Amino acid sequence: MFAKKTILLALTLVLFAAASVIAAVPRPSNQLRLAVDRIIEVLRDKNLSRDQALQEVSNQVRSKFDFWAMSQRTLGINWKKATKEEQQQFVRLFAKLLEDTYRGRIKVYTYNDEHVEYIGERVRGSRAEVHTIVVANKEIPVSYKMRLKGEEWLVYDVIIEEVSLISNYRNSYGEIVRDEGFGGLLARMEAKIKELAENEEQGGSEESVPAPQGGNAP
Amino acid sequence: MRAFIIILLFLLLGGLNSALAQDAVQADSAVIKQEAVPSVTAESEKTLVADDFTAEDVYYGEGDDEDFTDGAMESFDINDPIEPFNRSMFWVNDKLYFYLFKPIARGYRVVPEPARKSVSNFFSNLGTPVRFVNSVLQFKLADASTELGRLVVNSTAGVGGLFDPAKKYLAWRKKDEDLGQTFGTYGVGNGFYIVWPLLGPSSARDTVGLAGDFFLDPLRYVKMKPLERYALKGLEKETKLSLNKDTYEGIKRQALDPYLYVRTTYAQHRKGKIKK
Repeated sequence: MFAKKTILLALTLVLFAAASVIAAVPRPSNQLRLAVDRIIEVLRDKNLSRDQALQEVSNQVRSKFDFWAMSQRTLGINWKKATKEEQQQFVRLFAKLLEDTYRGRIKVYTYNDEHVEYIGERVRGSRAEVHTIVVANKEIPVSYKMRLKGEEWLVYDVIIEEVSLISNYRNSYGEIVRDEGFGGLLARMEAKIKELAENEEQGGSEESVPAPQGGNAP
Repeated sequence: MRAFIIILLFLLLGGLNSALAQDAVQADSAVIKQEAVPSVTAESEKTLVADDFTAEDVYYGEGDDEDFTDGAMESFDINDPIEPFNRSMFWVNDKLYFYLFKPIARGYRVVPEPARKSVSNFFSNLGTPVRFVNSVLQFKLADASTELGRLVVNSTAGVGGLFDPAKKYLAWRKKDEDLGQTFGTYGVGNGFYIVWPLLGPSSARDTVGLAGDFFLDPLRYVKMKPLERYALKGLEKETKLSLNKDTYEGIKRQALDPYLYVRTTYAQHRKGKIKK
């Protein structure tokens, strides 16, 4: 009798374990949609101050983007060559730079009927691709590459109009590492972040003509 | 037996609970906002404190065993043997953008967006011959017939191309094709990267393509003074610029080397278009 009970118990346990695993793995599109919808909602909300809106968007992005994986992918072979400290520093700087991209965009953002259509997803194991179209004054195809970490699908690449954000960084950062070494890359990132912070303090830099930069001169 | 039932109930509740939590997460974004964010932050905070690392920036997640370095990832680079020349042209275009074209576009934005959109549609309609011929050359006959259909519908119901009813009501979408892409589908490579003044980034292949497509521009066969021709070209360019949401400014702000960034974007963008 006792043995029977034990077997029954074991079976039930296994059953529940299996059921809860199936229930627990969510769809990548659903998770992404939550974050994206929330961001759009925040941007529409006229009651929020700009700083509040930026903070909220920033929270959403931080919870949905895997900066660690993005950094690895950006550096490729150079990631493996770098020391642990260099890796951490890179992730920190890279996240900051990426954050500035959307901060800058949001500041000049005026909401006009933009919405996002989800046209499909493809899941393979712990990787997924979600395809969307951002409909503004034109239609922009935007795809997200996502990875499953625990129960969260996290974005590790964004592909806008066939152009992968990470591939872009990979090529130009790779070239900088080749010419100036890993230390050189980190130094340039630091300098860029500092420059962006100074611009932000001055404020309203969006409307003024950026000062000519020596870096691009022939 | 009673113990068994209690355990069963317990498990059942547990399972139900997690299923409910799942639904709640999917139904209400507030939940994910409150739960997901702190958990990520807490995790990273731990590593950061342990590593004695600037503890304010706690958002980038922590490392795990999965490898994302992905050495086999496709590279999009493009040959650039005349980089010094290209960089100087890039610099010229940059100055033209900020001191000439952009200020004009900013002034132009006084015109309401729908009107500018119509101007853009008009020029787009004139681009039909290029898209049609190149679709045929690439044996994309369905796309070619869509282009013909769009031309007929938009030139009539769309009041000479000012509106795009073909897309709105018939879902016939425009697909950009040009001679450079046609060469690409035939297997011709980029050649090398070249930045033209005014025209911007291009490649040896796409430059030849551009020259070929030039003969398919209907405006070329309309009699007008050179100055009028330039004015029309300028209008087309400025319309596009006024509708654009400051993409180039974004790149300039944030890229470590805007020249390299634009170059890879160009290479990737063309490759993607050829594949389509």
